[in-house]
Amino acid sequence: MPNETMEQELIDIPMTVDIPYRFAAGPYLSKFLTELKENGKFFGIQCPRCQRVQMPPRIVCAVCHVKNGNWVELKPEGILAGFTIMYLPLTDPTTGKPHQPPFVYGSVRLDGSDSVLDHFINIEPVIDKIKVGMRMRAVLRPRKDRIGDLSDILYFEPPAEQKKSVNEEFS
Amino acid sequence: MKRKVAIVGGGQTYHASRRHDVNQVEMVNEAVRAALANARMSIDDIDAVILGNMEFFEGCHMTDCWMVDGSGAYGKPGLKITTGGTVGATIVCAGAHHVASGLFDNVLCIGFEKQEEGDTGAILSGVAHPLYGRSMAGAAVGYFAMMATSYMAAWGAREVHSALVAVKARQNARKNPYAHLKLDITVEDALNSRMLAYPIRMLDMCPSSNGACALILSDEKTARDRCKKPVWIRAMETAHNEQFELDWRDVRTKRPIFSKVCAARIYNKLGITDPAKYFDVFEIYDPATWAELVWYEDLGLCAPGEGFRLIEAGKTDIGGPIPVNPSGGVLSTNCIGASAMLRIWEAALQIRGDAGEHQVPKKVRRALTTAYGGTNWTVMTALSENPGD
Repeated sequence: MPNETMEQELIDIPMTVDIPYRFAAGPYLSKFLTELKENGKFFGIQCPRCQRVQMPPRIVCAVCHVKNGNWVELKPEGILAGFTIMYLPLTDPTTGKPHQPPFVYGSVRLDGSDSVLDHFINIEPVIDKIKVGMRMRAVLRPRKDRIGDLSDILYFEPPAEQKKSVNEEFS
Repeated sequence: MKRKVAIVGGGQTYHASRRHDVNQVEMVNEAVRAALANARMSIDDIDAVILGNMEFFEGCHMTDCWMVDGSGAYGKPGLKITTGGTVGATIVCAGAHHVASGLFDNVLCIGFEKQEEGDTGAILSGVAHPLYGRSMAGAAVGYFAMMATSYMAAWGAREVHSALVAVKARQNARKNPYAHLKLDITVEDALNSRMLAYPIRMLDMCPSSNGACALILSDEKTARDRCKKPVWIRAMETAHNEQFELDWRDVRTKRPIFSKVCAARIYNKLGITDPAKYFDVFEIYDPATWAELVWYEDLGLCAPGEGFRLIEAGKTDIGGPIPVNPSGGVLSTNCIGASAMLRIWEAALQIRGDAGEHQVPKKVRRALTTAYGGTNWTVMTALSENPGD
């Protein structure tokens, strides 16, 4: 048990470590993010051996350890593989600001992809309205506001809920 | 392994969410002294020291260097291991390899974490890829919540099943004097605890603990000469997953994923066909209740999709046929850098018959432990009272 009998003052000092970095995405992830920003398109990459379509694209298939080959354009649609309704005001590490709870986020497997992508789900945070296996469609920022990272995807949502104006963003 | 390796002693600190009575070095030394006393050794008997924790959790790098006084590594060879949630077991793996190779006879292994000194969620988010997924980094709770909804949708499990795991863990922890969360809770308490991220409630998650564990590994001659109850490391296996592919998220995946690959390898090595019968106790890495149910299935303790039936039937209770985490597990104590080593030490205590009030009632000859962390990977350790069986 802790030494409760100790009578001296115990000091602990708050500190913050703030470290700047520059992260190099490399050619594969750069192409993925550029296509998302410029053309509103999702690209995976296929392993020539096991045929898995991997997203985000990367140079080597981890399973086969061969260089990935074909770029595969994926529709911005897929299924919800898992989800949660988050009740904690978790800080977004990329902005330093909390996401406002409750909010839904989930894992979406785009049609034709072997990988999942985690993102916000635009749906009422009520358990009866969300099901694993639901169809999902990505909604992107308007072209002029896109910056070339995953925040260019605003969220996924059931296709039925999408308005025409939103769909135009993909054209 | 070239030479047989035994655990000849070990020790742990008590675990709590606040340990202002010690600094990091002092806390590590608490475990080191306990381990040396348990092995009836002095620091002069130790040939090398291997230490590890989560990278930067306490705001300091190179902990192996600046903790030399507390760890006992002064003037000795040693190294630091930092492999995420698995680190405690990876340290033992590295120690076992050093002894097995003949390089050293006695290696001191130390895992620690003083979580109160850092921001666990913030630092864990740094594990996620900076441009791909970090914004969504929902700490561990979000990850396990998504795994849980996938598990429920696939197999039809309900919240009550995770609540049963929550109760088992904390009731077992009440028997373990070193455990952090010793809670006298019921299924209703678990089901009524605060929702963090559906379906994960407060009592479905591990606590944020401070603490340390130390183990001493020796070669066969030293173990037989100096230790009354050596516990033998029969096999250790590690299996990595790949970045970005969260296979535990898809509980029905047919892919050869880390947990199943690692278990198959260790069973193959030891000629095990029925792990639930071969091992007398399991200490597994369960940061969330749902992870324990997935471990049951991936370790082959039941068929896929039947993990929640196992807990429902009480099979994994401390007095059940397949006791899992009689110590209370990670759900009751999670000082991350020490957690995987605690699984090994607690399993060793069970084999020695030294677990005290949380000793399982049947004879324990063999045990299996798992570690879990990083981008989904594991280190498993098979222990026995007999170096050849």
